[in-house]
Amino acid sequence: MRGIQLPLSQTQKVRLQKALEKLESLSSKVNSNASVTISDSISVNHEDSVLKGHGTADLNGEVVATVCGIVERVNKLVYVRALRSRYKPEVGDIVIGLVVEVAQKRWRLEINYSQNAVLMLSSMNMPDGVQRRRTSVDELNMRSIFEEQDVVCAEVRGFQHDGLHLQARSQKYGKLHRGQLLSVPPYLVKRQKQHFHHLEEYGTDLILGCNGLIWVGEHIEGKDDMVDDQVNESAPEAVLPSKNYVSLDQEKNYTTLETRKYICRAANAVRVLSTLGFNITLEIIKGVVDLSLSMNLDIHDMLGSEFCVLVAEKEAERRSSNKKR
Amino acid sequence: MEFVSPEGLRLDGRRPMEMRQIRAEIGAVSKADGSAVFEMGNTKVIAAVYGPRELQNRSQQISSQALVRCEYSMANFSTGDRMRKSKGDRRSTEISLVIRQTMEACILTHLMPRSQIDIYVQVLQADGGTRSACINAATLALADAGIPMCDLVTSCSAGYLNTTPLLDLNYVEDSAGGPDVTLGILPKLDKVTLLQMDSKLPIDILENVMQLAIEGCKAIAKYIREVLLENTKQLEYRRGV
Amino acid sequence: MLHNKSFAKKTRAGKVTKQLREHYLRDDIYCGAPFCTVCNTSGARLSATASTVLVLDTNVVLNQIDLLENPAIEDVVVLSIVLEEVKNKNLAVYNRVRAICSNPKRNFFVFSNEYHRETFVKEMTGETKNDRNDRAIRVAAQWYQNHLGGAVKVLLITNDKGNKRKASEEGIFAETVESYVKSLDRPDLLDLLVRPASEDVDMEEVEDLRPSKRKVIYSEHKPMSEITSGLHRGIYHQGKLRVNRYNPFEAYVGSESIGDEVRVYGRSNMNRAFDGDIVAVEVLPRDQWHEEKSLSIVREEDEDEDEDVHLAPNSADDAPRTAPQQGSSGEVNVVSSRPSGCIVGIIKRNWHSYCGSLEPMPMPAGSGGIAHALFVSKDRRIPKIRIQTRQLENLLDKRIIVAVDSWDRQSRYPSGHYVQTIGEIGDRDTESELVLIENDINSRPFSSQVLACLPPLPWSVSPEDLSNPIRQDLRHLRVFSVDPPGCKDIDDALHCYALPNGNYEVGVHIADVTNFVHPGTPLDDEATERGTSVYLVERRIDMLPKPLTEDICSLRSDVERLAFSVIWEMTPEADIISSRYTKSVIKSSAALSYIEAQARMDDSRLMDPVTTDLRNMNSLAKKMRSRRIERGALTLASAEVKFQIDTETHDPLDIGMYQIREANQMVEEFMLAANVSVAEQILKNFPLCSLLRRHPTPTREMLEPLLCTAAAVGVHLDVSSSKALADSLDHAVGDDPYFNKLIRILATRCMTQAVYFCSGDLSPPEYHHYGLASPLYTHFTSPIRRYADVIVHRLLAASLGISKLPSVFHDRLQLTSIADNLNYRHRNAQMAGRASVELHTLIYFRKRPTDTDARIVKIRSNGFFVFVPKYGIEGPVYLTTKAEQGSGEWYVDEQQQKIKKMDGSLSYSILQTVKIHMEVVEPQPNRPKLQLTLI
Repeated sequence: MRGIQLPLSQTQKVRLQKALEKLESLSSKVNSNASVTISDSISVNHEDSVLKGHGTADLNGEVVATVCGIVERVNKLVYVRALRSRYKPEVGDIVIGLVVEVAQKRWRLEINYSQNAVLMLSSMNMPDGVQRRRTSVDELNMRSIFEEQDVVCAEVRGFQHDGLHLQARSQKYGKLHRGQLLSVPPYLVKRQKQHFHHLEEYGTDLILGCNGLIWVGEHIEGKDDMVDDQVNESAPEAVLPSKNYVSLDQEKNYTTLETRKYICRAANAVRVLSTLGFNITLEIIKGVVDLSLSMNLDIHDMLGSEFCVLVAEKEAERRSSNKKR
Repeated sequence: MEFVSPEGLRLDGRRPMEMRQIRAEIGAVSKADGSAVFEMGNTKVIAAVYGPRELQNRSQQISSQALVRCEYSMANFSTGDRMRKSKGDRRSTEISLVIRQTMEACILTHLMPRSQIDIYVQVLQADGGTRSACINAATLALADAGIPMCDLVTSCSAGYLNTTPLLDLNYVEDSAGGPDVTLGILPKLDKVTLLQMDSKLPIDILENVMQLAIEGCKAIAKYIREVLLENTKQLEYRRGV
Repeated sequence: MLHNKSFAKKTRAGKVTKQLREHYLRDDIYCGAPFCTVCNTSGARLSATASTVLVLDTNVVLNQIDLLENPAIEDVVVLSIVLEEVKNKNLAVYNRVRAICSNPKRNFFVFSNEYHRETFVKEMTGETKNDRNDRAIRVAAQWYQNHLGGAVKVLLITNDKGNKRKASEEGIFAETVESYVKSLDRPDLLDLLVRPASEDVDMEEVEDLRPSKRKVIYSEHKPMSEITSGLHRGIYHQGKLRVNRYNPFEAYVGSESIGDEVRVYGRSNMNRAFDGDIVAVEVLPRDQWHEEKSLSIVREEDEDEDEDVHLAPNSADDAPRTAPQQGSSGEVNVVSSRPSGCIVGIIKRNWHSYCGSLEPMPMPAGSGGIAHALFVSKDRRIPKIRIQTRQLENLLDKRIIVAVDSWDRQSRYPSGHYVQTIGEIGDRDTESELVLIENDINSRPFSSQVLACLPPLPWSVSPEDLSNPIRQDLRHLRVFSVDPPGCKDIDDALHCYALPNGNYEVGVHIADVTNFVHPGTPLDDEATERGTSVYLVERRIDMLPKPLTEDICSLRSDVERLAFSVIWEMTPEADIISSRYTKSVIKSSAALSYIEAQARMDDSRLMDPVTTDLRNMNSLAKKMRSRRIERGALTLASAEVKFQIDTETHDPLDIGMYQIREANQMVEEFMLAANVSVAEQILKNFPLCSLLRRHPTPTREMLEPLLCTAAAVGVHLDVSSSKALADSLDHAVGDDPYFNKLIRILATRCMTQAVYFCSGDLSPPEYHHYGLASPLYTHFTSPIRRYADVIVHRLLAASLGISKLPSVFHDRLQLTSIADNLNYRHRNAQMAGRASVELHTLIYFRKRPTDTDARIVKIRSNGFFVFVPKYGIEGPVYLTTKAEQGSGEWYVDEQQQKIKKMDGSLSYSILQTVKIHMEVVEPQPNRPKLQLTLI
């Protein structure tokens, strides 16, 4: 059992325990019955021809789980959804990655998958926005676009023979700066319609990568899809924060203290949720940040035990109220 | 020296067929993909699994399956006297190899080509049966990391002293110089993946001792399954819908 | 099942490390009382009607073990903590306690209090280990009382005052050993109690009453650390103390660090060491080395240890396995070049129980009934032991067993306690029993496990045995056996068959014991322990159970029996052309006695086939014998006597020398030949693990006395080789016909003992058997009464491929220890046999004072030793009484080996015939001895 590695006092332990028990009672019974461990056999009606999906194997005609997780049945398909595993990419997922290598005509990104993903030079928008063929000069100038340790947002394009390919053609993708990168277990991030969120009241951007990497940063105009039209104007500036201009743009690149505080709050909120193992959605993050602001909690206290317990209790309430509805 | 008293009690008060108290904890190393702490009596072992991830050494890449690497080490403070060189010596290399082979036999490596899985096992406290504890911990860690395996691997040791087969030897009984059989099995498939023995043993008694070790392994498997199930359920309900 | 970790801090080699051990506490440990309603009573050992249950303290167990072994003590709970402490302190006592606990007849229950959840006691800070253990004992006693309820009284037995007080405070019944035993109202038990040293009675009372005794104080033993450093530096030497059997104040310490043996002479130099102790000895400066003078018959330091009359020895005692030069008994006249030393410390004690009797003393004039008596052991090497007893009058005339407890510096004698009585002194059975105990002979009946290994009776050769391919069917052969009259365990039979080509086929058939005794069975283990059958005058202690020895294996006449055969083809000149070995089935046609066989051979009228065979064999045997003598075999005379026993009273009726006839020699010849053949066969196949028998050549030193004596009477003996010696012995003829025999008897005494050994331990030249002049010898022909022969049978069977060699042969060390054990048992059996004969001699002469001839065999300053040929006994004859000693009336002429009176009127020389009077006297009550006086 994953323990919460925080020093909790006795009362806090009791409260946390209560909150967790409440959550447990609220959880769907079906799901808990469907939990399996490795080599547990999955009850299957043998007469129906059953498709054995991921996480299952055939042992003497019996369907047996090969991972620990929840059994899901969709029509004829039976598969086991593993919880804490590495990211399983699907085409069209928004992912955030860390550049680890600049190779020939491509960048390799680490995206919490079993291999490193490949971002081809040709899948990137050129800084000047022109759609043209990439020349060798472009190749030599790859570093001016992305370097090692840069955080990049991209979309999964598909599996090629040499691995997973990404593309960053749209304005909303590309290098991310002025913010924090967080790592949470991928299963806490559900696939939704929107992954780019703009928190207006705090002036921060929130990107929930499907691979478990989450970006919280200063709001940069032109990153929103709502302001797509303005992309062409402000994009060059945003996309190219080259070091050469750092002194000149220092004033422009300066993030205010307020914004930074909000960024930190949001990030800590994500951290708390990740520790507790709760789903991470915009709503919940907002709720947590509001909670911390309403209590006038110091930012670093958000990582403390008291806040953790409070979040747990709030979540329990929220879910129960959801259920009643 | 009397290892089993005429009343049927061993030096620490167990009966010959009894195992030491086992305890398992998942998720001790938060940064790793999967981790576990496994305790058998006073033997305490921590395992961390990273993977499947990109290969560090491109030349070792296998195009059809994942590369499994394992490293076993004993902490300097794990035995009574502080050890100096505990990594890279012959025993560590041998045990690393043994654990790697055992785990490789059950991981479905063909599902993760061109990647590598790293298993790091470290002994925090050694009191006999470290090999078995390492394998059990590695199994837990792999399961925690969501790596597909065809079956759990559990392992237990057994010995033969004072003409009695003994289950789960501790350090004192191990150093008595009698035979020490370490057995690793796949409980559901009922297959033996690891069989090692020190010293000599007549063949008819070997069967008895092996049978005893298999019972021990099955008991451990039951416990591990419970732990994993509990963990899965917990993660699921916390996560919510 | 709770789990508790307990920390133990231990130091190893000066380093302090912390050890962590698990300690599981259980709730499935039961109390052992059959009437308990709560616990599982399947393992219950306490008696159902117990009214008092005893819980013992550690010191009580350690000190009072003899009391506990007495069946009067029952319903005892032995705690596991007590057992552990006893084991750490004294392993021998621990083994005895375990033996009592596992004995189903005694109600002793072992309670594992350390692992029981309710009785586990955790060490408190500042508490010593002993205190904690005492507390654990009290807690356990308390638990028992609560558990068993009011019906049973739980009594804690402890002599420790502190413990007793605390127990009473906690409400536990506690008593000391003495008060408990007193409450049992059994005064004989009180004798078994050991007094702790602090309560010892004032030494003054106990000193010997004779005024000539001085108070002796021994030097302190050095502490162990000093001894170890001394050993390192070479000042002290470590070795086993061997006390001279005939002179208890002389001892030897054989040590490897000094090439020679160190002699320790005198009571103060021996410094409280016992025979068999491992001691540290310091060599004295050269000027203090003790010179061996021409000894008087032993008297030393006012002790009056007289020489007893005993049988003529057959060999020098204490023959070692390997070479270093050893002197034997103190009778040898050796110029001392050996270093003398004194004992500075005792590294390991070899104390155990001794049998003997109390020294006669007047009854004490009432001191509450407790008397201090001196116990004299039968084994003269052990000093007198002081014991306290209440039943002095009862014990004075009994043979008893006493155990030693301690030997204080201030005390002349060690202190011990009485263990048990064997029987009355002089009672033939008691004395026999004593002989057996002294010689470590197990005469208990065979256990049921051993008897279970026997095949069911009535037994006969089965069709499977006959059809077994390894067994040859020799039932058609005319086989017969020749043995002493009344012999029921016949282990050898012979046949002789004239072949058409003029040669003879001669076969020796030995009982096939290994067919019934298999390695690893209880029967085999018991036989290994016993090693040999022991022949006392009135009974025989068998190595194997009677059904085997007298029926199943015994080659009786007119029944089919299984055998192991050695078959030779020989020329009429007794040259062996070929030999073969096989297992067989035979049917003996006649079981003759020596007298019968001799009579048949001598009677020329008899021409039946058996007699013809006998005659043929006899002629062959004669030729073999002469060839042997040619090679140098010695024929030594034995002084063996035979008793005729009254069948009713079992008292000896007549005593006489053992007669050797031609028939004896004939059988002997073939047995020897069989043994040699088998030895060759097994050595060929198993050069490293055969069991052989060797006879080391006697050294010049050992032959000195013989040469001296012979020279004095004008006989020259050439001892350069066995053949030379044999020839010179043949030529040693004197005035009377007995002279030659006497010289032979004297020669016998100088011989070493023949011993068994493992062939891998020595090199081939050392396999030589001096007495038989054979390069190789083993024992094969008597497996019914000797275990060595059983081993050789197994080796022979393996060499023929009949069966697999048992695993014990692969372990050289084990084989060597088996050979050592066989030698030990053989020696003990011999000594027991001789002691039994001596005993019967004494009984015989008790009612018959006799006058007879005797020959002087050794001269001493105050008399001489004589040998009585008719009865085969030897003893001292004193010319001066004790009072007159040193008066100078007689003096000894060493050169001529004569003792002469000062005024020249009388002289006695060695080998001279004298007339003596033999009679049994009792100088001290209950101490009969045979006295020889000159007429």
